[in-house]
Amino acid sequence: MTRYLRWALAPLAVLSLAACGGDGGKSDSTTEPSSLTLAATLQDDEAFGTLKQVLTNAGLIEVLEGTGPYTVFAPADAAFTTAGSDTDFTAEAMRAPAAALLRAHIVPGALTRADIGAAIDSGGTGTIQMRTMADTLLSFTRDGDALVVTAPDGARAHLTGSEALVRNGVVQPIDALLIRPTPVD
Amino acid sequence: MNRLLPLTTALVLSLGLPQVAAAQNNGHGNSGHDKRDRGSERDPQDRDDRGNDRSERRAERRDDNRNVRVEARREDRQERKGDRDRHERRTERADDRRVVIAGEDGRPVILLRRNRDRGLINGCPPGLARKDNGCLPPGQARRLATPTRLDSLWNARNDEFSYRYEDGYLYRRDTRGSLLGYIPVLGGALSRGNPWPAQYDYQPVPTYLTNYYGLNDRSAYRYADGTVYGMDPKTQAITQVVALLTGQNPTVGQPMPAGYDIYNVPSAYRDQYVDTASRQFRYNDGYVYQVDPKTRLVQAVIQLLT
Repeated sequence: MTRYLRWALAPLAVLSLAACGGDGGKSDSTTEPSSLTLAATLQDDEAFGTLKQVLTNAGLIEVLEGTGPYTVFAPADAAFTTAGSDTDFTAEAMRAPAAALLRAHIVPGALTRADIGAAIDSGGTGTIQMRTMADTLLSFTRDGDALVVTAPDGARAHLTGSEALVRNGVVQPIDALLIRPTPVD
Repeated sequence: MNRLLPLTTALVLSLGLPQVAAAQNNGHGNSGHDKRDRGSERDPQDRDDRGNDRSERRAERRDDNRNVRVEARREDRQERKGDRDRHERRTERADDRRVVIAGEDGRPVILLRRNRDRGLINGCPPGLARKDNGCLPPGQARRLATPTRLDSLWNARNDEFSYRYEDGYLYRRDTRGSLLGYIPVLGGALSRGNPWPAQYDYQPVPTYLTNYYGLNDRSAYRYADGTVYGMDPKTQAITQVVALLTGQNPTVGQPMPAGYDIYNVPSAYRDQYVDTASRQFRYNDGYVYQVDPKTRLVQAVIQLLT
């Protein structure tokens, strides 16, 4: 009987292990960071295929493998093809703009959604801001239940999906690039 | 009355000493909010910070000429103490995580600034002669004058100039459109495999940051405009981008810059540095800053070493 029970439980054990391994480093703010790096987490997630190419083009993948920590506001693939946008940040000639764009999506430290929400809630009517690696300021507000991040040129993105706490920072998926698709007048 | 005097003195001392201690902590940049931290403040590591060897100090003086002061902390020093067993060394390192940067005058000194002017190369870019309208041929001048989506990436700095990217360099123009100079940028002239532009100034990476980022040979890295680059010592070509920094380095007593409104302490240190009503902690470029929530003044600058 014991032998049969052991065989019966084996698939469950395999499934539970697979679930742990397939998490891709994603976790919520109440869990411990995964052992993955920011680079590995983005590379493991198919939603960030274009972002990976842009990071590689700009020569910044190694930064996200390093000590950090950084919080990366990670645009999903669709964000790079927004209507009105004809900028290909994966092109070789666009390496420098790609690097500048990425720096404007990265802030120092580990920024969880709980931290952002708490700062908004305790900040009164004041603007809650974080400085980026491009030396610009991102502003944070609420839109209903969602959190919104706004770039200096007015570009807005919602924090979407699940944040991923990892060894060297946090990945915060967003639904738009933090740069307007058309020139600022 | 005579009996009251000792009592009054004791009361004043008991009330006053914590404030004196706090003031000293501010001066040295340490909050000292637990016993372990206070212990580390007086331990040999702290003395190491103030008593670096002469060669390190000579390096600091050279850096002073570039408006940079580097206060080095040598993690390796702990390992050179030789006879101690591994357990003891591990214990020391854990205690030393909270170490304050202190200069010779007792005030913290830091380090890397983000200043695009450091790298500004005056005059015309390579291959372009000075023209009446600046350095650029008319066609290129017209192209640079056309607004693009990317302008907001380059014009983050609020000054009287405008910037436009072209062929590896950022061009600075005045309000009339005349070119004033050009700056090599990350991903452009400052890309992997490219030689370091001869006229482009850089700063050596402070020892603390080389330790923090796990870099072996300090001389093989350069800092410019918020970026740490790895260099090939033989060819002087860029080999990789190692780290991105904000370049914001307030010292004790200065206001914390805008843009640090959200708690962002790394996960490994969140139990140690917790926001309270009287102090906030913010991470930036390898350090944790302790900030007074009311005045926004920096109370302490704390090193983190992994």
